[in-house]
Amino acid sequence: MRTGRAVGLRAVLVVAVVLVVQATLMADLRVAGALGDLVLVLVVAAGLTGGPDRGATYGFAAGLAYDLLLDTPFGLSPLVYALIGFVVGLVGMALLRTSGWWPVAIAAAAGLAQAVLYTALGNLLGVAYRFADVPAIGLVQAAWAALLILPALKVMWWVHGHNEPDRLEVLLR
Amino acid sequence: MALSPPSGSRTRFAILMVASVTLIVVGLRDVPIVRNAREGAARALDPVENAVDTVTSPVRNAWHGVTDYDEVKAENERLRARVADAESQKVAGADAEKQLADLSKVLDLPFAGRLPKVTARVVSGPRSNFSHAVEIDKGRKDGLKVGMPAAAAAGLVGKVTSVTDSSATVQLITDPEFRVGVRLATKGSLGTARGQGRDEPLIVDSSINPQTKVPKGTGLTTSGIDTSTFPPGVPIGTVQRVRTGSGGLSLELVVKPLVDVDQLSYITVLKWEPK
Repeated sequence: MRTGRAVGLRAVLVVAVVLVVQATLMADLRVAGALGDLVLVLVVAAGLTGGPDRGATYGFAAGLAYDLLLDTPFGLSPLVYALIGFVVGLVGMALLRTSGWWPVAIAAAAGLAQAVLYTALGNLLGVAYRFADVPAIGLVQAAWAALLILPALKVMWWVHGHNEPDRLEVLLR
Repeated sequence: MALSPPSGSRTRFAILMVASVTLIVVGLRDVPIVRNAREGAARALDPVENAVDTVTSPVRNAWHGVTDYDEVKAENERLRARVADAESQKVAGADAEKQLADLSKVLDLPFAGRLPKVTARVVSGPRSNFSHAVEIDKGRKDGLKVGMPAAAAAGLVGKVTSVTDSSATVQLITDPEFRVGVRLATKGSLGTARGQGRDEPLIVDSSINPQTKVPKGTGLTTSGIDTSTFPPGVPIGTVQRVRTGSGGLSLELVVKPLVDVDQLSYITVLKWEPK
């Protein structure tokens, strides 16, 4: 088992790398006008490997750091990502007993949910995000999340380590 | 299937939710600490962004080659047609250009070139699906300040919303939170244009009488009235459609921006500040 300090350092490193890649390379890779969201993939992986606690914590911390790089309403990203991380953690705890393919389905669903939630909460705060854009954004995010979730889970295992293979790792073998 | 979290998780989640809402409230008040934190993050990212931009440009070019192939082909055809058209207009245009230059000298048209300018390269597009801002590679050291208007050859692009020593963020005209005072080129009527999101036209809430005829294609420029945060006369777009505004007392104009903000490589920041 890793020490808390080693885990903390690895977690900070992973969040920083994800943010840099999202803000630079990903910002130019648009499909149908929408981007993949690596922060979301990281948060989903955290929720799936560590449950609602870890999902919400990563969601809040990574969302807050992401918000510093954006011009969107401050605080909206930590709220949305913490909510998604928490729910993914809960759903993951319940569903991963059955099949190793659930992470892919959950990640895709999280991509859609993030688009809906961000648009709805943004409108509540008075920013006129268009609901007509939700399908394109949601589908592109879902596709990227489904594609990247398995490597992201491996990254999370590298960060947090474990004494013995956990249930999810066994299912994915 | 049990979806009930342990009580410890519930407490931590509740704390994170309260913290998020607190951050939103703090952010809405536009307190300096949030501005400074965002500026600090942008400053920290600057060198990394430039390095990654250089290293990853082959990947991005390949991606655009795949995803924008049809668009590039169509654009190529459009440009060929435009070049042919331009050739034929060249002779007639030369005379008109001289007249316009002379007129500009007399009237001192603001967009004709007397404002000091800084041209910057766009180093990053919007960083999320809900962001409508681009990063440029010029900043405070080059004389840029928050609020300065940004333009491309065709017209207004947006305005500078944050600045570090060597970079700046430009809010695009398509941002749903973007507002600019406009003037109808032929009628002189005033209104306020607002963004509606990516690939969407601008909407102008005007005070124009609903009986007034506004032809399709009428140009709009920044109004530059006393309280405006933009200089007068910067071209913005052309009227695409006209409809009656809410309440039926005025006209609402649907305006196509002159600048395609998805295709920006360089931006010119006008060193102009409101009086």
